[in-house]
Amino acid sequence: MPGSEHHHSNASDVRTLTKGVSLWQDAWRKLRCNRVAMFSMWILVAICGLALLTPLLPLDPPDRDRTHLQYEPPQLTPLFRPTFSLDVKAIQKTSAIVAARGDSQTLEQRQQAKDVLQKPYRAAGFPDLGPLSRWMVGARYWLFGHWSLGPVAGRDLLGRDIFSRLFWGARVSLIVGLVATLVSLLIGVTWGAVAGYCGGFIDDLMMRIVDILYSIPFIFVVIFIITILGQRDIKMTLELVGIDRITIFFLVVGAIYWLTMARVVRGQVISLKHEPFIEAARALGVSRPAIIFRHILPNLISIVIVYLTLTIPRVMLFEAFLSFLGLGVEPPDVSWGLLANEGIKVINPVRIYWWLIVFPSVALGITLFSLNFLGDGLRDALDPKMETK
Amino acid sequence: MISFLVKRFLWMIVTLWVVFTVSFFLMRAVPGGPFDSERNLPPEIEANMMRRYHLDDPLWKQYWRQLSNTVRGDLGDCFRRDLPVDRYIREGLPVSAALGLLALVFSMVLGITAGIVSAVYRGSVSDLTLRSVATVGIALPNFVIAGLAIIWFVFLFPVFPAAGWGSVRQLILPAFCLGAPYAAYVARIMRTSMLDVLSQDYIRTARAKGLTQRQVVLRHALPGALLPIMSFLGPATAGILTGSLVVERIFYIPGLGSHFVQAALDRDYTLAMGLVLLYTVLLYTMNVLVDISYALLDPRIELE
Amino acid sequence: MSQRFLLILIIVTLGISSVAWAVLRGNLPPADFTFHNETEIKSMDPATVTGIPEHRILAAIFEGLAKPNPETYLPEPGVAESWDISADERVYTFHLRPDARWSNGAAVTADDFRYGIRRMLDPMTGARYAYQCWYIKNARRYSAGLAGVEPGDRVEVELNLPASQPWTRRGELLHGVLLSKKATDRSGQNSNVVAVRVGNQERQFLVGADTQEAPGGVEPCRQVLLDFREVGIEAIDDKTLVTTLERPTPFWLQLTMHYALFPLYRPCVEEHGSPDWTYPENIVGNGAFRLQFRRVRDRIRLVKSDTYWDRENVRLNIVDALSVDSRTTAFNMYETGRIDWLTDTESLIVRDLLEQGRDEVDLNPAPFLCTYFYGLNLNQKPLDDVRVRQALSLALDREEITRVAMGAGEVVAYGLVPPGIPGYQSQECHRGDPAEARRLLSEAGYPHGIGFPKFEILYNSDETHQTIAELIRKQWQRNLGITVSMRNEEWGSYLNSQRQMNFGICRRSWVGDYLDANTYLDMFVTDGENNRSGWSNLEYDRLVADAAAELDDEKRLRLLESAERILMKELPIIPIYYYVSRNLVRPYVRGFYNTAVDLHPLGAIYVDRDARGRNEYLSSE
Repeated sequence: MPGSEHHHSNASDVRTLTKGVSLWQDAWRKLRCNRVAMFSMWILVAICGLALLTPLLPLDPPDRDRTHLQYEPPQLTPLFRPTFSLDVKAIQKTSAIVAARGDSQTLEQRQQAKDVLQKPYRAAGFPDLGPLSRWMVGARYWLFGHWSLGPVAGRDLLGRDIFSRLFWGARVSLIVGLVATLVSLLIGVTWGAVAGYCGGFIDDLMMRIVDILYSIPFIFVVIFIITILGQRDIKMTLELVGIDRITIFFLVVGAIYWLTMARVVRGQVISLKHEPFIEAARALGVSRPAIIFRHILPNLISIVIVYLTLTIPRVMLFEAFLSFLGLGVEPPDVSWGLLANEGIKVINPVRIYWWLIVFPSVALGITLFSLNFLGDGLRDALDPKMETK
Repeated sequence: MISFLVKRFLWMIVTLWVVFTVSFFLMRAVPGGPFDSERNLPPEIEANMMRRYHLDDPLWKQYWRQLSNTVRGDLGDCFRRDLPVDRYIREGLPVSAALGLLALVFSMVLGITAGIVSAVYRGSVSDLTLRSVATVGIALPNFVIAGLAIIWFVFLFPVFPAAGWGSVRQLILPAFCLGAPYAAYVARIMRTSMLDVLSQDYIRTARAKGLTQRQVVLRHALPGALLPIMSFLGPATAGILTGSLVVERIFYIPGLGSHFVQAALDRDYTLAMGLVLLYTVLLYTMNVLVDISYALLDPRIELE
Repeated sequence: MSQRFLLILIIVTLGISSVAWAVLRGNLPPADFTFHNETEIKSMDPATVTGIPEHRILAAIFEGLAKPNPETYLPEPGVAESWDISADERVYTFHLRPDARWSNGAAVTADDFRYGIRRMLDPMTGARYAYQCWYIKNARRYSAGLAGVEPGDRVEVELNLPASQPWTRRGELLHGVLLSKKATDRSGQNSNVVAVRVGNQERQFLVGADTQEAPGGVEPCRQVLLDFREVGIEAIDDKTLVTTLERPTPFWLQLTMHYALFPLYRPCVEEHGSPDWTYPENIVGNGAFRLQFRRVRDRIRLVKSDTYWDRENVRLNIVDALSVDSRTTAFNMYETGRIDWLTDTESLIVRDLLEQGRDEVDLNPAPFLCTYFYGLNLNQKPLDDVRVRQALSLALDREEITRVAMGAGEVVAYGLVPPGIPGYQSQECHRGDPAEARRLLSEAGYPHGIGFPKFEILYNSDETHQTIAELIRKQWQRNLGITVSMRNEEWGSYLNSQRQMNFGICRRSWVGDYLDANTYLDMFVTDGENNRSGWSNLEYDRLVADAAAELDDEKRLRLLESAERILMKELPIIPIYYYVSRNLVRPYVRGFYNTAVDLHPLGAIYVDRDARGRNEYLSSE
């Protein structure tokens, strides 16, 4: 396993001489010196944190449409307005009712209980909220009362606040990007590494399968999946188990994107196969799986990381395309892909509602910039041959 | 080399057959048919149409008929348009191919150059700028780039025509919009692999031998660094073929791109199948070329 | 090294030559008039098409017995220079003009019409608009094939063709009298044999059998149909055509302008077969224009016909119909001067254009006969309760919908039939009243929306439909306290779900085929194939049927109005708005008028760049 030794010139610290430093610790240290990468990392942490805490922030609810304010341009003054309202009494009443009713058995009863519980939040303009989010909304009302941020990023076709939709959209988009990419990563890397290393007939077969899967029009596959899942009984069973459209979306997307990863990984493995250290491992009698997973994979990390940072944005935007087919995010939920879609529809030469496209693009851009620079930093940090500055 | 090509050709036949079969049954399994419309037909007429297009035959019989026709080279007539499928392909493929080729060349040239510069001058201002521009190219979906490009270069500064296909000026904007995201990808991959290669021992040797920076970079480092780009060429072509869907719609280019999705949505069985098979052949050929180029670029790799 | 160099050189040469080739290919002489025809049309064969883009092209290449007046879209003499209507309004005699010619010089005869209509009705053609011809006596029975004949009827038996012949030719015809539809053959095996007495012999036929099979003395045949001479269309001589209708049909003359009743030149169709006869090198038409070439997904070029009887008044020489799929791109092309007439514009753009005052320059939205409504599935609780349906309709704020989602001045709809039909008064449901809506909902058993079962709004993927569904969802939530979910599907799945009634509420729209309320109201008779709601009302059925048989115009209109009143009280559908046409027409385009059906004959349009003043489009209502 590639590693590096750390030599201290101070003679008094003899103990540190014998302690080796692992790849990861070394990488972390190198990363910390890379200012751009650290900055990007903190930005990403901030974005994730804000996304988590969104219900707590004093923003206009994302689904609150005020059609008389259609397409309002961004306004910075007054910054805070007393426009938020939440029916707290109704919330207390309904949670008491639902608690008293206890555990519901049938799907219908559960549905009804959910409706009753969510009703005051829906009326205020929130999408369906989980228990933690509901608590956060309550806390927000207690902290900020009626005050909420004005339309800093303008309003859209139905008068909804874009700034708030960006934050709520982040929650969905980040998860979508991460999970779907990880799924495709797992499948793709394994597939490509095995194919590349084994070579011969196995390689041929595995790559042919990849070719075939590439050529099958994914549109049909998606429509097919949607239809199957749209059947009444199957939909019911899935809802009982708790799998919703978003989860299915992850799986579908992961199933489409692993193909590219497999091809690229295979290419790298083929060239790595002939490196002397692999031959040495073989000569030592290391088993095939061990060679693949312990020796080859770590050297793929750099290319894999680059691919990761390239795939995440594609996944986020692919989600917008799929929503056209009926899969993915649907109102009242919101995602960045959806916002980009809405934004592009208003680009026409007569009048450009620029805030509808600029702000989502900026959000997407910042996230992806940070991801990329962090990825570059990681790549640099994980390379044992790179000298630390 | 010959045996390699023969083997690949045989595999292509197998691939085509599997793709054909899977697509055939997938298309029929999806709800709806080629004759759906908002106005529902009286049952007699509907029965007639099914009979005429042999859609009431058992599935295996339809499969066999379509397979034998395809093998003979007859892709049939579209269901949705009164035109033979091969006319569609004959008219649309050259246009899409030309556009795709232009976009590919543009993205390769721009991307490779940017990647090399970025890697060689790592950490400098130009590196950061290039990486930022590349990220913008990746972050924005190509329909956003197209929309903004149109606003900028068609209306604000009337340099290019809005849409169409027929003069050189009409080519530039679509090729740019199509190739831009891939230029960005290529730049990033090139940078990474160039950095990898530049830290290799044999580069150190070359430098020690006293070769100039240009010789080291272009003659010794570049060929090895191009390998990941080659493996990206395959997916890039596929992506350009499907990305051309959006660009061709926006710029009104009579190519094949938009047919891919539309045929599926129309449930036009014959057209969709014809395009799927074409797509498979193109992709497969591209991958074979990529594998051959591996061998050319890295003498250690033999074609098996 | 040299290998690599060679490779690069090859690639570069390929690139340059492909660019050059592509450029050469796109160069065309310019057209006089270019318009945007929405999508790539399906075909030039009148028997196989159903859409408006196809109508525009077909109406330019062919002409029917009557042709539309460009201003009013009412029938004027076309191929038929005059017609006589019998006293019982069932027999129409058309006198064709002597100088009507096909594009190859041959004269247009009455038999051409008979051929075209027969082909339309032939079950083998699978024509979708055949039902437009079913107003002709016995036409529907003819289309039904074997199901339309009974023993004792005169029939025609069409024998199989040898496999080498084009599919669209007719096989040899035998005429006889049907003896039995379920006879048994001589060997006693098959009992689905059709027995017909031809001449003096009884012969047995098996319908739909392949040419090869001929068991037990039974002859294979293609189909057995009602004898076409029983159908009410007859060519008395070359220039006289008589159509006998099932019952008096006031809009029959209007229907003769529709492509379902266009003539066809038989030698062309039979020689080339289908679809080859529609190719530019083969096609023969009798309209104001003829087809020069067709480039898929690019354009269709029409040139002025020099055999058309009224060619003096056709002032365009070369017309291009572009098939631009993206409405925004089409608008960009219009703005940069590449298109002269845009047939449809995005709602958002229209709104902005109106604000910029373009309604003084080139935009004049006008209502036309198309309704946007929501169809309810009465098989799903709680939509089976009429009070719930009324509550849903009352809780809507249709003004908000048209203002926010549209913007071209769409008219809110409280009835199914759009205004603009002469003599007819649309019947309306109650206007928006949220308080009453809430009261009705409580009465139905769902006070404050509690306990209201969830259902889905189904719509096809489109920005406007999504916005409207979103607004309606919010309005119901606000005014009634209920929650509904939305489901979008792409076109194919959407149509399928609609057919299978796999929805709670479904977004629908309906365009009138002709200027009469019947085209809307006969959708909702019990088990009508376009009903799609599970609603059935016998009184309604009776009123619609009575109106179809009523001779007196006044009485007929009142009957139809009564039917619509019932519909709007029961509300199996909720009307939302009436469409508005959104044509953009350059000021130098003349001869273009807004019509109730939003159709504009190309023969009347001309381009005059020197003309001053408002063109007819801007001045028309």
